[in-house]
Formats: sequence, C-alpha cells, structure tokens
Amino acid sequence: MWRKNWLGIIAEICLIVFISAAAGIAWNRTLLAGAWRGEPTSQAQAAAPKGEELPMPIGLQQVKELHDSKQALLVDARSAAHFARGHISGATSLPLEEARKQPALPFKVKVPADATIIVYCNGFSCHDSMELGKLLMQAGFETVYSFEGGFPEWRDAGHPIATGGV
Amino acid sequence: MAGCGAPHSDGWGMNKVRGPLSAAVRVILGAIFIYAALVKIADPVAFAGSVAAYQILPYFGNYLVAAVLPFLELSCGLLLVCGYRVRGGALIIAGMNLVFMAALASAIVRGLEIDCGCFKQGGPKTSPWIALARDTVFLAMALFVLRGEAKKDRLATTKKPS
Repeated sequence: MWRKNWLGIIAEICLIVFISAAAGIAWNRTLLAGAWRGEPTSQAQAAAPKGEELPMPIGLQQVKELHDSKQALLVDARSAAHFARGHISGATSLPLEEARKQPALPFKVKVPADATIIVYCNGFSCHDSMELGKLLMQAGFETVYSFEGGFPEWRDAGHPIATGGV
Repeated sequence: MAGCGAPHSDGWGMNKVRGPLSAAVRVILGAIFIYAALVKIADPVAFAGSVAAYQILPYFGNYLVAAVLPFLELSCGLLLVCGYRVRGGALIIAGMNLVFMAALASAIVRGLEIDCGCFKQGGPKTSPWIALARDTVFLAMALFVLRGEAKKDRLATTKKPS
C-alpha cells in the first residue's frame, strides 16, 4: 500500500512539474526562442510601450568578440570613482548621474550615431546600464546593447581590465 | 504503519490544534509562493539576470529556469492555497527550497555579491544569508504541512474500518 501511495505521489509531482514547465515555456516562448539562438533578447523591446526603445541585452561572449574586434564602444555607466578602480579595458566612462544632468551631449560629439555601443555597470543587480542605454537611444544612438553581467562578469572571466583615468 | 492500529483518543487534543494550524501554514506558504511567482512572471528577463548572477547554469539554462520556475511556484502555491493535491505541491516546494538553499550556499561560499532574486527583481539587495534563513523557514513550513497531511491520512485510514 505504501508503495502504491508513493508511486501516486511521484506521478502527481511529475504531472505538476510537467504542466508548469509547459505553461512557463509557452508563456515565454519568444524570449526562450531568442535565448536559444543566442540572440540578444528582444523581450524587453516587445514588452515596452511603443516609442520607448530599450537597449538589447548582450552576453559576455559577444561582448568579448565586439571588444576584441573593436567594433563596439564600451560605455561604463558607473561613477567615475568606480571606473578609476577598475573597468573593461578601452571603455569610456559616462556615469548615469552625469548623463541625466546633461543627456549624453559631450559624448555625442565624439561618437557617431551609427556606432555600436555596449553599456555596462556592476552586473545583473545593477540597472544603471539599462537606464543609460535608454538615454543614449533617446539621444539618437541606434545600436545600443546592455551587457548585463557587467564589470564583475568580465573581470571574473579573466578578460583585460584597466584602472585609473576617466 | 506502526501507528495504524493504535487508538487515537489520546492524540485528539493535539490534532484539534494541529488541524487549523496546519491549514493556516499551508495557505500562508501557498500565498508567499504565489506572490513570489507573480513578481517573477512579470519580468522574466530580470529574473533570468538574477539566475545568471549565480553563475551556475549555462546561458540558455538561465532563461529556461526563468521561464519555468515561476510557473512551478505558481502551481504549487495555488495547490496549497486551494488545499488540492497538497502533498505533491508541498513536496515540490520543499524540493525547490532545498535547491534554492544549495544555490545560495554556493553563492556565499564563492563570495558572490549578488541579489538573491527571490521576490521582486531589482531594488535593494537581499543578502544571501537572510535569504538562506528565510528559505529554512519555508522548508520547515512545507515539512509541517506534509506532516499534517500524513496525520490526516492516518486518521482517515484508521477511521474507515469502524
């Protein structure tokens, strides 16, 4: 009797897990399809109301490739002090606070609008890069990615970093 | 099955208290999980980020977990609140909590400074230690509910023959 009971419970658990997984996958199918292809997820864009464009998330691997081939400009959204303590080599500092005061104007003079820009800050729990990315897009930059893993992921992967200088 | 034939008259006093208490714990635990699920379903990308911050799963794995886990939390929470198939729901919740605790412990061991990502994504960070303590409480609640269910079952089987 005990055995039958346990089999029943195991079947029950499998059923609950299966139904939930099916619901979850169906609900997030676009997001998952994008992630599967390794594309920057477009979920954020689809969910955002029209008119407000969000920077697309980009993974460490792609950031490394764009960094190495110098195809993208990396922009550090953290404070100047953080930047001085350590940043992705070759990155430009544009703290969110400053960009808010003066919407990316001095930045825009130096960088063409069609440049590929990757913004980052202190990792997944930091949302400054997303905010800065939005500002840059509003300022007219077309291709803006947000590297969500940010400086911690880059550093932990052993990729080149630099210190000092703004 | 040792207790099957034993008389239950002496246990009644406790059961009177345990019954409602177990039901209350069941509903509260269920509601907590429903809340946790809804805030994650609202922002799957942010939750995928929280999962990725643990640096345990590969890239796609983070998104898969972010897609499925909230729905599993939601179903189990609903089952617990409704009192339907409680044992399956509570067992899964206990299992999920064990996984969460293992993930948090590994984050602490590796010295990762991350947000637990347990409830609302973003905002102030919840330290892994607090999250670990909280999950211990949830695990205890799930076990308490399971024990209540087992007791109810035992009562039902002993009552039937009479």
